[in-house]
Amino acid sequence: MADASAAGAGGIRIANVGHTYRPPRGRPVTALEEVSLEVAENEFLALLGPSGCGKSTLLYLIGGFLPIESGGISVGGTPVAAPGPDRGVVFQHFALFPWKTVRENVLYGLEKQRLPKAEREARAAAFIEMVHLDGFEDSYPSQLSGGMKQRVAIARTLAMDPGTLLMDEPFGALDAQTRSLMHEELLAILKRTAKTVVFVTHDVQEAVLLADRVAVMTARPGRIKTVVDVADVGGAADAIRDPRFVEKVDFLWGQVRDEALAAQKGGAG
Amino acid sequence: MGMRFEQDGIGAAALRLLAGTGSVIALLAAWEVLARAGVVSEFLLPRFSDVVGRIWEDALGGVLFVQIGLTVWRAVLGFALAGLVGIVVGVVMARNRGANWFFDPIVSIGFPSPKIAFLPVFILWFGLDDSSKVLMTVFAAVFPVIVATAAGTEGVDKYLIWSARNAGASERDILHEIVLPAALPQIMTGLQVALPISLIITIVSEMVMGGEGLGGNMIQAGRFADSLGVFAGIVQIAIAGYVLIKGMEILRRRLLAWHQETQQISTF
Amino acid sequence: MTAALWRYTPLFLIAAAWEGAIRAGLMDSSLLPPFSEVMAALGRLVVDPELYRHAAASLMREVAGFGLAVIVGIALGIVMAWYVPVRILVNPLVRCIYPMPKSALIPVMIMWLGLGHLAKIGLIFLGCLLPVIVSAFNAARGVDTVLIWSAQAAGATRRQILTEIVLPASLPEILAGVRTSLALSFVLLVSSEFLMAREGLGYMIAFLGEGGVYDAMFAAVLLVTGIGFAADRAYLAVARRLLVWRE
Repeated sequence: MADASAAGAGGIRIANVGHTYRPPRGRPVTALEEVSLEVAENEFLALLGPSGCGKSTLLYLIGGFLPIESGGISVGGTPVAAPGPDRGVVFQHFALFPWKTVRENVLYGLEKQRLPKAEREARAAAFIEMVHLDGFEDSYPSQLSGGMKQRVAIARTLAMDPGTLLMDEPFGALDAQTRSLMHEELLAILKRTAKTVVFVTHDVQEAVLLADRVAVMTARPGRIKTVVDVADVGGAADAIRDPRFVEKVDFLWGQVRDEALAAQKGGAG
Repeated sequence: MGMRFEQDGIGAAALRLLAGTGSVIALLAAWEVLARAGVVSEFLLPRFSDVVGRIWEDALGGVLFVQIGLTVWRAVLGFALAGLVGIVVGVVMARNRGANWFFDPIVSIGFPSPKIAFLPVFILWFGLDDSSKVLMTVFAAVFPVIVATAAGTEGVDKYLIWSARNAGASERDILHEIVLPAALPQIMTGLQVALPISLIITIVSEMVMGGEGLGGNMIQAGRFADSLGVFAGIVQIAIAGYVLIKGMEILRRRLLAWHQETQQISTF
Repeated sequence: MTAALWRYTPLFLIAAAWEGAIRAGLMDSSLLPPFSEVMAALGRLVVDPELYRHAAASLMREVAGFGLAVIVGIALGIVMAWYVPVRILVNPLVRCIYPMPKSALIPVMIMWLGLGHLAKIGLIFLGCLLPVIVSAFNAARGVDTVLIWSAQAAGATRRQILTEIVLPASLPEILAGVRTSLALSFVLLVSSEFLMAREGLGYMIAFLGEGGVYDAMFAAVLLVTGIGFAADRAYLAVARRLLVWRE
């Protein structure tokens, strides 16, 4: 895997980013404070933290969905200003268009890219097959299980061939068995088409299993607490029995637990 | 609008269909028997068979189709205009703060109040011809469409819009390709509320203004103590209403084949 | 306070535009009296005992017809949902008659019940009955089976389940349906008073219109609109009270 220390040509550079959430009523909340982080090209970085720590906010800032208020983010050397197909996003609750079939969902982005029709169709078919949904092309999302929906969402995003993949707890809504199958599939897909990945999760084991590095965020306001290299462990389903894997998980779990407790106290106060 | 049934065997479904048809036939038979037995006077409740006879006569003479056609035309035209205006205003309200500020008090007062009270105003402004009947219908039917469209458009899942933006869709594309389809279930519900209102208001307008059309005919029949005419009118209006409203339900099922019919607008 | 004022500012703007357009001669004052004159007429109307005679007649019809429809409709709807034989026999009838435009009943009510109070009460009752039945039926059918099982497990009788579980659990949907019927009841009230009455607010509007007293007619139209709106707001306040447990 890529060298983790330098953000290469396709990498992500996040410098001193802050974000304040202003609800229509009530006090503004500082979600992110002075966050700096670099992700190398084709590196898989997991963002780990207690709920409400702003990890999804950071992901949406990279995606260009939220305005960057302070600091700067660049992807592949270009400052982020708006959403773009170079940064594919997979949302927690799939965000499939319910009135479009599986095929139409996957085709949507390709149509926006104005690819020739034949190529669009071929690519959609290839990516639907890649996530093992051939035979379900004409089903509506409401007819699919949670795992299948998320596979459609992944196919839809990958079909646009983004250099960067932003995943917001993509498997959080799935049951344990499905989730574990999805982990294997995701790793297999990334082996075939290398991408820079930022993967938000609150599941420590999932983070260590999938990622090259894990960044732990503090409770609100979110900051980077520590970054741990886990490239040497995980990467396969049977890795979870490896003592070194268990050690990393235990260490990270301790880090996250401290923050979760801090968040609870902050919430009570 | 539709009712839920538990899904059990085909046998039970057939039995229910039988019982259903049976109970409708039983009602009509009871009507006939009650009228024949002279329990109530012929004037208060003419025989069902005589009512059917009257409708048959009108149908043979062609009058029936002209009268039904006029009423349905006014109601459907008013409904269609209300739908068009309501969807446009609802979308604009949901997406533009200034428009929302301007229309909100009008809609919140207009939505629950009895718009039919304005009927004499429409007569004063537009006279007794078709335009005032149709415009009265539009005015009465437009509010539920506005409310449903605005609520549906505002409630579109933010992540759907983000997904489209991520794929490179323009703001214009997003309105046509994401916001409107996503709001369609609620817009359809608004239209399904507006359709019976259109029929009710068109018929009242016809009754008050007189002239051709089922409403005018019925009130005329009532004034001349022609009870057969009144009941024939009721049966005709009931059938016209049933066909239109069922048609709307079928349209909904067609358009929303993708939709799990679990959501229902809560008014609270 | 200022928020409410800001919210309703568009109405003042419309009133000002109305007044201005007529003063500037852009609109014919014989078709639309100036806003100020309508307000003056409204002022005269609210001190006129005649208004209260008409309003009392309307109120009586509305309360009797709508109240009866709500009580009978909720009871019938729940019974239909609860007892299978009733459902199988009555449901098709309801589905068949439900789409009928309710205003078509007006001439029948005149024939059956004459021109007095009873005809209007009958119209509002029959017109609102089916929508209330349908919403109560749907609501009761939609009650989560697990709730009923929990009550059964706790040893509740069928009757107790009906009154203590099914009724409260279906209340939100029933109340939403009743709100729609409330609006319908006002439409039927005013319509029937246009067509067959010697008193009532609808009659008053029609009477003023026919007499060419347009400033008073507009005042009465605005008044009836306001009453419909106020009734809806009052209903919402009561409904929220009944549903505090939902928040």
